[in-house]
Amino acid sequence: MGTILFNAFSFLQKQLKEKNIPCTNARVPFSEGQRVKDVLRNMNIRDEEIEGVFVNGKIAPADTLLNDGDRVAAFPPGTPGPYRLLLGIVKKVPDSLGKKQNEG
Amino acid sequence: MSRILRINTREKRYSFESPSPELQALGGRALTSKMILNEVPATCHPLSQFNKLIFAPGLLSGTPAANSGRLSIGAKSPLTGGIKESNTGGLVSQKLARLGIKALVLEDKPIDDAYSIIVIKKDSVEILPADDYLGTTNGDMIAKLWERFGKRVGVASIGPAGEQRLTGASIQFADPKGHPGRAAGRGGLGAVMGSKKIKAIVVDDGGADKLTLHDPDAFKAANQKWADLLRNHPVSGQGLPAYGTAVLVNVINEAGALPTQNFRSGRFEFAGDISGETLAANIEQRGGIVSEGCHPGCVIRCSQVYHDKDNNYLTSGFEYETIWAFGAHCMIKDLDDIARMDRLCDDVGVDTIETGVTIGVAMEGGLIPWGDSKAAIELLKKVGTGDPMGKIIGNGAAFTGQALGVDRVPVVKKQALPAYDPRAVKAVGVTYATTPMGADHTAGYGVCQNILNVGGTIDPLKKEHNVEISKDLQIATAAIDAAGLCLFVAFPVLDHAEGLQLIVDMLNAQYGLSLGASDVVQLGISILKDEHEFNRLAGFTAKDDRLPDMFKEVFPPHNTTWDFTDDELMKAKTF
Repeated sequence: MGTILFNAFSFLQKQLKEKNIPCTNARVPFSEGQRVKDVLRNMNIRDEEIEGVFVNGKIAPADTLLNDGDRVAAFPPGTPGPYRLLLGIVKKVPDSLGKKQNEG
Repeated sequence: MSRILRINTREKRYSFESPSPELQALGGRALTSKMILNEVPATCHPLSQFNKLIFAPGLLSGTPAANSGRLSIGAKSPLTGGIKESNTGGLVSQKLARLGIKALVLEDKPIDDAYSIIVIKKDSVEILPADDYLGTTNGDMIAKLWERFGKRVGVASIGPAGEQRLTGASIQFADPKGHPGRAAGRGGLGAVMGSKKIKAIVVDDGGADKLTLHDPDAFKAANQKWADLLRNHPVSGQGLPAYGTAVLVNVINEAGALPTQNFRSGRFEFAGDISGETLAANIEQRGGIVSEGCHPGCVIRCSQVYHDKDNNYLTSGFEYETIWAFGAHCMIKDLDDIARMDRLCDDVGVDTIETGVTIGVAMEGGLIPWGDSKAAIELLKKVGTGDPMGKIIGNGAAFTGQALGVDRVPVVKKQALPAYDPRAVKAVGVTYATTPMGADHTAGYGVCQNILNVGGTIDPLKKEHNVEISKDLQIATAAIDAAGLCLFVAFPVLDHAEGLQLIVDMLNAQYGLSLGASDVVQLGISILKDEHEFNRLAGFTAKDDRLPDMFKEVFPPHNTTWDFTDDELMKAKTF
């Protein structure tokens, strides 16, 4: 058992607020062995509603194991910024663009 | 073929000329930087008759291409002492392009103190007396000029700060609703316009024909796909329209990269109070406009109109960087007071990033308390009045830091750092250090193919790969600025294989060219080479490409420091 400090941003924050689910600096309990994605599913958030997750200020996989006191935040698709790539929000190289580069 | 319009501000005469072969294929930032390099002595005083102020629509501007209404303004910067391209939305870019004007060049300077306005129409160019307008704010200036010359004319104007030639002075542009919410903010170009005693420029494209496209059908097909691409991407189609750029407040705060209390830490306790989510909720509750474009033909529409609690207009184009500068940087948590300061800046005509950072430096120097928004507003109101303290603040962060004996002054090349801490997002730190513009986030905002070679995840807290990313972002951004496209097109262009090719297809269809994607990269490189050469001639060396000592401090929550050597940084400038 433990608690995390949880935040949701953008459309996700609005959506959770409408359902009266605490999502700004909220203390959320979790059970031993639970991962970020378990907490999100408990809030009825679907996988496709999440583009990225922060754990303690760093972009992390949704299956990251939770520790007591972790700071967790989730944000949906549509989050801009020069740092989508730099923060690791965007990870995949579109195949076709990579191919074009190789072609010259 | 489009022409170059030169106006001699001393003799009050104008001339049109055909562009030289070297300039024919250039537009936007590519054109302004080439002309500044060729025509302005790099060692001149930026407020002297030898400097020039050049307005150039991007290559796609004036066409129906979605999000192509961006304008480049170039000069030698009175703030940095180096070359400057400041980029803006508004109405002027598309109208100049439709009038067949590739560049508007303001030259020389008057001997007397008489101000003028310039009125450009389809068949006329007039240089008219403007003394009645002296001291007028940008908001009032646009209202008066729309009343005199008709609504919907393009307006570029300076406020009292530009008239006083303060180095934080902006050139403000009427947005489609006539608010002064768009700005060529950075680098003090309003002071250059003030030195040439031009209070405003009016551009009326009434009666002008549509731009002739070399292959209209191919252009239409490419633009259709282009607009769909922008509309269907979650960032440009959903996130930016709903929350504006301020959606970044929470995200960058969470990443531990939101510079707080003059870059002391990366988290602001009250980030939620000044977030895009709060901004959007206030607009929905009070009235205002959640989403509008900064120029006709914008399909992203990330601007907004923000009202106070009594539903009275406060400001337009309320951006993340502005909210950060007057907010977390100054420890201010009252979003309405931040909006008031945004409006004050637009009206008096100063850059919101430079001025917000300056207010924080004034707090650092003990002039007013941290977090005191009312004291900040009163201090800001002095700018443009002639009050000596207002003159100090209006000259920016470096000047104010010196005046107040402050050693923590966040500037590169005397230009204030924007809203991302260089120790927590290191690639942007490399851009701040090495861009010819002085500290500027938009100088490395975008993506290009080269970046994708890096691929994978890049740790923003470590040094690895961050120099290469910064370099590639700077190249891509320069090319986007030349095309006249909004930088936010970069998001869909990254995520869709077709994106870059569609830009190339539109350029080819417009001009009858056969460019490839690699030509776009080469264009970006050539722009940066011109800009670095100007700065070299102006006397810039490696010591000007460093971040201040304050960034050697450990930066919580990730406890990183700025640790790049001169040699490492130099690689971002080696092509």
